[in-house]
Amino acid sequence: MPFRMLNSKIAEAQVLPGQTMYSQRGSMLAYTGQVSFTPNIQGGQGGLTSMIGRRVANEATPLMTVEGSGTVMFGHGGHEVHVIEMAGDTLYVEADRLLAFDGSLQQGTMFMGSQGGVMGMVRGQVTGQGLFTTTLAGHGAAAVMAHGGVLELPITPQRPVHVDPQAYVAHRGQVQNKLSTALGWRDMVGRGSGEAFQLELSGNGTVYVQASEEKL
Amino acid sequence: MTAGPVVHDVNTLPRNDNVHPYAFSVALNGQWFLQKGKMIAYYGQISFEGVGHGAFDGLVAGSFHSPLHAADWVVANGNGMMVLADRAFDVNSFDLDDGNLTIRSGNLLAFEPGLELKQSIVPGFLTLIGTGKFVAVSNGAVVFVEPPIRVDPQALVGWADCPSPCHHYDHGYMQGFLGGIRAMTGIGGASGEEHQFQFTGAGQVLLQSTETMQAGLATGAVPHQQGVPGGTPAGYGR
Repeated sequence: MPFRMLNSKIAEAQVLPGQTMYSQRGSMLAYTGQVSFTPNIQGGQGGLTSMIGRRVANEATPLMTVEGSGTVMFGHGGHEVHVIEMAGDTLYVEADRLLAFDGSLQQGTMFMGSQGGVMGMVRGQVTGQGLFTTTLAGHGAAAVMAHGGVLELPITPQRPVHVDPQAYVAHRGQVQNKLSTALGWRDMVGRGSGEAFQLELSGNGTVYVQASEEKL
Repeated sequence: MTAGPVVHDVNTLPRNDNVHPYAFSVALNGQWFLQKGKMIAYYGQISFEGVGHGAFDGLVAGSFHSPLHAADWVVANGNGMMVLADRAFDVNSFDLDDGNLTIRSGNLLAFEPGLELKQSIVPGFLTLIGTGKFVAVSNGAVVFVEPPIRVDPQALVGWADCPSPCHHYDHGYMQGFLGGIRAMTGIGGASGEEHQFQFTGAGQVLLQSTETMQAGLATGAVPHQQGVPGGTPAGYGR
């Protein structure tokens, strides 16, 4: 495991020769040893097409490549950091929530419409996720930022989970998500409960929820 | 789960310890120096006098050697419990035992007169020398690390016992053909990590958990004299 939490807001990573890490630009707090930080023009892995995909998808959060040998401490904006270990499955997360991740993880973008068609696109707009989200697949670890601590809620076929879109951080596994609305006449006259939209996640997996409704 | 908020009174407030991560309680019996506006509550008879005039001239002359910061500091005098906090940043107290510690001036909340406050020759930093307790704020918990280490300037809170840092620049990726294009056109951007403070020697470096700094107080200027870092523009004959 390359990440070690120094406290709830700092993740310390071991950087070994020949192993690349990616991290959000400007998120290094301190390092020991010989480590170089190179701005990544592609915004991640996968060559030119992936880069264009991310640009078009507006998932092109500035990343830098971290290489060398040493120890690096990452932290950003005073947000809580949560390390997610990946073992061959796929993590769906907004790019701007990614603090750092192993280069061994395959980075990609996913069109929201591919999960639920038009409603998926509507969902992306309503939740502020946009039309695309970033995927990380393979083996490795990713450090994800959240405002307030992170809760891991298991999703089982019998127990779908409803999440406030603003508190949603990431999810993994075989999960279908759909936007459930509880709009009523009260919302139309401005007397709604403020919980008119929820993200309903069902299937098998885990959803990560932050203890705040503040977007990063 | 606790049932409701914890209610403190003058007897149950911690003595020279944290009430919770964001507030610190001082059992005052005598004088403490504190930064203006950081006292949020007190029990007992405590008066606050500006530094630089009044009854504590002798104390100030002995423990406060930074006239540029005098306007930002007061002396708390009396008997009682005094609670300190600063914009809900994490508050911590540290003890120095015949030691020295340099800290960003906006991060220092209060200190005991057993310590002497001086201006570091690094602009914007203050040095505490002596024996006693001081209270400092940070954005997120403080992490202690040992040199050799390179630190993002914005994450640095202070350092103890080790020599003052030097600047470290790494523009390695600006070299070569592609790096040249990057430097000339700006395409590809910068990593934001070209510049660190480098610490060597024996001691401890204090880091906060984020590179988002506290909106610091104006740190004052250094005297315009030859040989004072930041005091004069480079050149001769001034």
